[in-house]
Amino acid sequence: MANVTVYSTTVCPWCQKAKEFLKQNKVKFEEKNVGQDEEARNDMLEKSGQMGVPVLDINGTIIVGFDEPAIRKALKLDKASA
Amino acid sequence: MMYDTIIVGGGIAAFGAAVYCGRFQLKTLVLGKSIGGTIILTDDVSNYPGFKKLSGSDLFEKIKEHANDYKIETKTGRVTKISKTKNGFKVDTAEQHFESKTLIIATGSEWRKLNVPGEKEFANKGVHYCALCDGPVYKGKVLGVVGGSDSAAKEALLLTQYGSKVYIFYRGSKIHPEPVNMRKVEKNPKIEVIPNTNIVEIKGDKLVRFVVLDNLYKGTKEFKLDGLFIEIGHIPLSDIVKGLGVKLNEKGEIIIDRAAKTNVEGVYACGDIVDTVFKQAITGVAEGTLAAYSAYEYIETLT
Repeated sequence: MANVTVYSTTVCPWCQKAKEFLKQNKVKFEEKNVGQDEEARNDMLEKSGQMGVPVLDINGTIIVGFDEPAIRKALKLDKASA
Repeated sequence: MMYDTIIVGGGIAAFGAAVYCGRFQLKTLVLGKSIGGTIILTDDVSNYPGFKKLSGSDLFEKIKEHANDYKIETKTGRVTKISKTKNGFKVDTAEQHFESKTLIIATGSEWRKLNVPGEKEFANKGVHYCALCDGPVYKGKVLGVVGGSDSAAKEALLLTQYGSKVYIFYRGSKIHPEPVNMRKVEKNPKIEVIPNTNIVEIKGDKLVRFVVLDNLYKGTKEFKLDGLFIEIGHIPLSDIVKGLGVKLNEKGEIIIDRAAKTNVEGVYACGDIVDTVFKQAITGVAEGTLAAYSAYEYIETLT
């Protein structure tokens, strides 16, 4: 099972899309709200070198934005869903 | 497989068109690089008749749901090429090819860039284009918005929920949002408008630390801030249709007539991509409706 963290803010639409996508594909994830949690914000900055959300950490692969193809690849979803 | 129509794009105009394509029982594919579009990045939509106030995301979901009440298909993929075939059109993404008798182009637009040194380097590192997305990261920080439009004013108002202070930098003498938003800006103690001023450079280390202005502000051209949100309009994403011979205006927008027809038979367009002066969700959806009707009417002549 992949170890997935989503760094997001409360109302960010692409964060919602990313989370919906993970849920649809039955991927468990931990969510960190960088608008409220300063430590999470610093984590995100350190890992991704930037401040845009969402950021996904999938087993150490850092994906900035809701990049569906990149997320599929990191989770090795394509073979299962094609 | 031959579709009656492929709607290229995944925003509100695309799904507005899809509602009517569905009703006309056209074999329809909505093909967008993502499903959502510009509207979902607006938190407050109060000008879509029938809904006093809702988020752009909620409005989009309602229209998408409505479209999905009919038999339409939706796929995500970045369209790399559109070409003419003997019987219609071929639409390619990196992985797949699709064919259709007609096309409805609803590819929308992307954010216009400021084009100053530092903008690219600090993208997402203090330079942002979506307050709703990235604003909350800047709790208690000093923020700037570039632009004088209604959208710029709305971004600034939203950012006051997070920032300690929000400056609006505008090249002209007076910002020009809708009157209702102008009043909100004037009343908000966190907002200060700095008119007649351009940002000429964005500087920092790992993150943005300050911007350089072309005019003195309180005796200096260096203006300290933590986040800069650029809201100076959009540029149409119309490159993809150039090969079809679709006529564009000088801004790169697709020229359509009152029935949402382009100059190329079987090709229609709607939403932020077209040459209308007042680009709203409601106008994009209306153009989508007309595009669907025009596609339907054309397909009827083929049989």
